[in-house]
Amino acid sequence: MFRSIIKQRPNWRESAAEYGFTFHTMHGEAYWDESAYYQFSLQQIERDIEAPTQELHQMCLRVVEKVVADQQLMQRFQIPEQHWNYIRNSWLAGDPSLYARMDLVYGGSGHAKLYENNADTPTSLYETGFWQWLWLQDQVNAGRLNRRADQYNSLQEKIINRFAQLKIEHPRDTLYFSCCKDTDEDRGTVQYLEDCATAAGIECKFIYVEDIGLSADDCFTDLDNLKISWMFKLYPWEFMLREEYSEVLEHAAVSWIEPPWKAILSNKALLPMLWKMFPGHPNLLPSFFEDELENSQLVNYVKKPIFAREGANISIHLAGKEVYSSDGPYGDEGYIYQAYSPLPAFGDNFTLIGSWLVGDQPAGISVREDKNKVTQDLSRYMPHIIL
Amino acid sequence: MKRTQSIDLRVMRKAPKLFAFRPLALAVTAGTLIGCSDDTQEAQVYKSVEDCISGNPGETQQCEIAYQQAEQEAIKSGPKYNNLAACVEDFGAHNCQSFPVQNNQSIFMPLMAGYMFGSMMNGGYRSAPLYPSYPRRPPAYGKWTSTDGNLFGSANSNKVRVNDKAFKAKPTVRRTMSRGGFGSTIAAKSSFGGRTSRSSWGG
Repeated sequence: MFRSIIKQRPNWRESAAEYGFTFHTMHGEAYWDESAYYQFSLQQIERDIEAPTQELHQMCLRVVEKVVADQQLMQRFQIPEQHWNYIRNSWLAGDPSLYARMDLVYGGSGHAKLYENNADTPTSLYETGFWQWLWLQDQVNAGRLNRRADQYNSLQEKIINRFAQLKIEHPRDTLYFSCCKDTDEDRGTVQYLEDCATAAGIECKFIYVEDIGLSADDCFTDLDNLKISWMFKLYPWEFMLREEYSEVLEHAAVSWIEPPWKAILSNKALLPMLWKMFPGHPNLLPSFFEDELENSQLVNYVKKPIFAREGANISIHLAGKEVYSSDGPYGDEGYIYQAYSPLPAFGDNFTLIGSWLVGDQPAGISVREDKNKVTQDLSRYMPHIIL
Repeated sequence: MKRTQSIDLRVMRKAPKLFAFRPLALAVTAGTLIGCSDDTQEAQVYKSVEDCISGNPGETQQCEIAYQQAEQEAIKSGPKYNNLAACVEDFGAHNCQSFPVQNNQSIFMPLMAGYMFGSMMNGGYRSAPLYPSYPRRPPAYGKWTSTDGNLFGSANSNKVRVNDKAFKAKPTVRRTMSRGGFGSTIAAKSSFGGRTSRSSWGG
């Protein structure tokens, strides 16, 4: 695994406009960065990332199985009590999932370690599934990359196939796509998924999360006052379960993508739970709940809120001293503690691997770089190749 | 190969977006059903059962059944409003009526002003409700419209060309009591640090 400088495609910004990639630059900073790329060997991809992702995913499912059956654990995961049944039933019914992204620490050797699992609302999907794929094709065609260069990225293909499977259960339903207002990135991600679903022959409709309505007979409705029965939402379960309409979730009987049981996986309490169930696993970092910290012998650790997004409210503690902290609006629901395992540095960049799953299958990676030790929402997205 | 084998780039290109403003309950999709494909048929439009009978002597029973079916379909899939003013805005004064629902409340729906009446291959008839156009809004002005907002020919005409879809039962339209019961968390979180724009609620 190494980082190489490469000439940018001279017309990529025009190309981005043509394909509707609107968020390559955010808050005045580059987000998509093709001034360099990462190169992996096939063995690094298959042995160090793909296989562990598969295994970690299965371990995560074992955690869900255990947590939904145990009220004390549901409490530790900060699932509101009135929704325990709803979430348990979603798991027992085998509600299908679409996708997830695991964040891994990996620098080219040794075991990749799980940082966290974005199993509910992962973004950077379009950049991964399509945009970096196009980048590779363009760069190979321009003679700037070896013809044999490949990429670990079958995301788009797998997502379309997954939608085709999901359609079997919903032959006549319209699939609604939803995200919050005022975010180009989320809207772009959802549009991409809608395009994939359309390619799978599904009839799609879009509605903003804030516009979802509630009917007199306790159905969720769209802006034409039609019932919503099947919906993809790029909006976290941990928010939804605490909002006004959560009261009617059971009655409204929507098939959600991602399904309600994902509330267990996208939750940082997953990490100490994994460590308890699979202690010493080579792809896990020792992790603990707050009340276990004293006996944990952790010296260097990262404190993470149970619910948080984009690197907010995280602090790093080395030998009893806080050496870094990010602010943010999270942390009310408590924290977990994870052994400190710094991101590998390539030059003055810290690099994080996002390893994707579609259904239960590993499906590719995204690479993000940050000048900061904690990857935040302004980190840059870098393409990669296998050679 | 570890990557997607092929992607149809034509599909991935995004044409410049056209934004359509949709009225509350009706989407105007003029032209989609009118005479542009071969599977259209001519349907009669009648404003009343008597109107139908005089056009189809001897078919009294069919005309009555068709009317009742259209009326039931109108109640199920027609637009529903929480107040009279909203209904009047879309359909005009005197074209709205109230229906009592539970707790002494009422909803408002446009009056069915006519119905389409078409023959089927097997010799039977079928029907679908029609409303007067919205009063002030072109291109709907002076046209017949269906429960889901499709526009047909002039409301002065008693014949329209439609395809099969026009007679299909439409999805049940609900009465929406409120909106905004999801999404409240972000209002609290996004004010953090005075950031006015944000990138993602995913991660």
